[in-house]
Amino acid sequence: MVLLFSLALGSTGFVSITDLLYHMYARCASAFGLEISVSDRNLETILWQVRLPRILLTFMVGAALAVAGGVLQAVFRNPIVDPFSLGISSGSAFGAALSMLISLIPLNLSAFLFGVVAVVITYFVSYTGSRGSLVTMVLAGMIISGVFTAFLTVLQYLSDPYKLQSIVQWTMGNLHTASWAKVRTAVLPILLGIAVILALRWKLDLLSLGEQEAIAVGVDPKIIKLVMIGAATMITASSVAAVGMISLFGLIVPHISRMLVGPSNAQGTWANILIGGTFLLLIDDFSRTLLPFEIPVGVFTMMLGTPLFIYLMRKNAINWSA
Amino acid sequence: MKLITIEKLSFCYGKLQILKELDATFMRGEFSVILGRNGSGKSSLFQILAGVQKDYHGCVKINGIERRAIKRQRASDVRIGFMSQFHQTTFPFSVFDVVMTGRASFTHFAPRAEDRQRVETVLKQFNLWVYKDRPYTQLSGGERQLVLLCRVMVQDPDIILLDEPTNHLDLHYQVKVLENLQRLTSEGKTIICIMHDPNLAFLYGERLFLMQNQQLRSLSQLSVLEIHQSLEEAYQVPLASVKHGDRNLIIPRITSNDF
Repeated sequence: MVLLFSLALGSTGFVSITDLLYHMYARCASAFGLEISVSDRNLETILWQVRLPRILLTFMVGAALAVAGGVLQAVFRNPIVDPFSLGISSGSAFGAALSMLISLIPLNLSAFLFGVVAVVITYFVSYTGSRGSLVTMVLAGMIISGVFTAFLTVLQYLSDPYKLQSIVQWTMGNLHTASWAKVRTAVLPILLGIAVILALRWKLDLLSLGEQEAIAVGVDPKIIKLVMIGAATMITASSVAAVGMISLFGLIVPHISRMLVGPSNAQGTWANILIGGTFLLLIDDFSRTLLPFEIPVGVFTMMLGTPLFIYLMRKNAINWSA
Repeated sequence: MKLITIEKLSFCYGKLQILKELDATFMRGEFSVILGRNGSGKSSLFQILAGVQKDYHGCVKINGIERRAIKRQRASDVRIGFMSQFHQTTFPFSVFDVVMTGRASFTHFAPRAEDRQRVETVLKQFNLWVYKDRPYTQLSGGERQLVLLCRVMVQDPDIILLDEPTNHLDLHYQVKVLENLQRLTSEGKTIICIMHDPNLAFLYGERLFLMQNQQLRSLSQLSVLEIHQSLEEAYQVPLASVKHGDRNLIIPRITSNDF
């Protein structure tokens, strides 16, 4: 429903739902070989070349970031981590910018590689000795994130004005450059990563009880952990490569899901996909229609997310131990 | 019948020698209790038996198979359930979900109906079915301990290793947990338990061991007096013996001339 609503909404004005439905009917009909005159060529272009790819990409990215956040929180047994706080986002952003500047390796791959590098460094910095505490992990992630952001700044400083503009726009989180080409590059890694996570989602509860508790019931957590972190990194990196950085989204949505459907990751993963996708879509709808010009989506994530989050937090207080 | 045989087991934690040429045997279907000072190596022994710690020297055979060769996630003839100390979780999972994680090695993906059935049966056995939707983090220490015991039980283990199951529990739950364990041995399970209260060990344990000087000594063949002396030596506390029915319990002897 939100998908349909978003399709109708846009900077060229609101298309009435009946027009939209008629148009879709006409389109479907012509696909089956029936000749029905499509009334408005402009409308068709706007719907199919501008809005639909944007909507699909937004939904995918929203779902990807939310799922990645939920997975990372479970695997690291830490409700305050997200793709951003572990450095994945910054790493990917740096990787993507690097490939924009010197196109040695494709953007997607570069974003993924540096995302992996960042999360691996964060993991090893915080896991000195036997056990890493939740606090050291977040601290390590912030530092690694900072380092990559600094590198990104260096890149921006070194790059020429034309490339600089595209890098800056892109780090602000830009859904408006969505195109079918972007959808095509992002769809495979994101769907694949989410599929892997969905298939293994029942193991997330076990992982979040701790490594020893997994071994105690006869499961080797190492492989599942690696697969999960790999998948989460892949979908985060693909999202970052496609639309830039949308901070805190991956932190907030898993919490919203948890408040709505409970802490179990089996239901939580599905909730993250649906809530993440529709929530980012709604945010994007607001950011492109509320004012004559587009507001960067990151701004709205916070403006809409924060009150909603506070409301849910007060309404059903979840019992965090320690 | 011998179920676990340990020969010349040595284990170091860093440079610190924890276990040195330890020999021991545990019998099938018995309730064995291991006593010993804090840091004497009891938990390390458990980690080795549970397969968490593999970096040891010597021979640990369970049902004739070397411990390292027993693969996880495979239906082996011996299942080992392990309940460790100090468990805490950050996420407020429901009791049902926590217990369900005990079935994780039985299925790769979604739990099946028989997994749910098993969780239900075990929770009802321990009278915890009413708690199934409660967040685990809201339970009291004793309730949590019972839930974790259920989590171990749903995998239907032949051997149950418990590291201080009565830790932090009030008298009510101590007795409740131990009675449950006694019932399980009568159903053919083998239980090995680390405990700190020698009297509970005397009351419930069928075979007693004492971890001391990097070795595990069996106390079962010893006379009452010898056990008494061994414990005095191990705990470095003067003890007094108290007769209770046909059993001998101990209490610390308070010497008033210390003042």
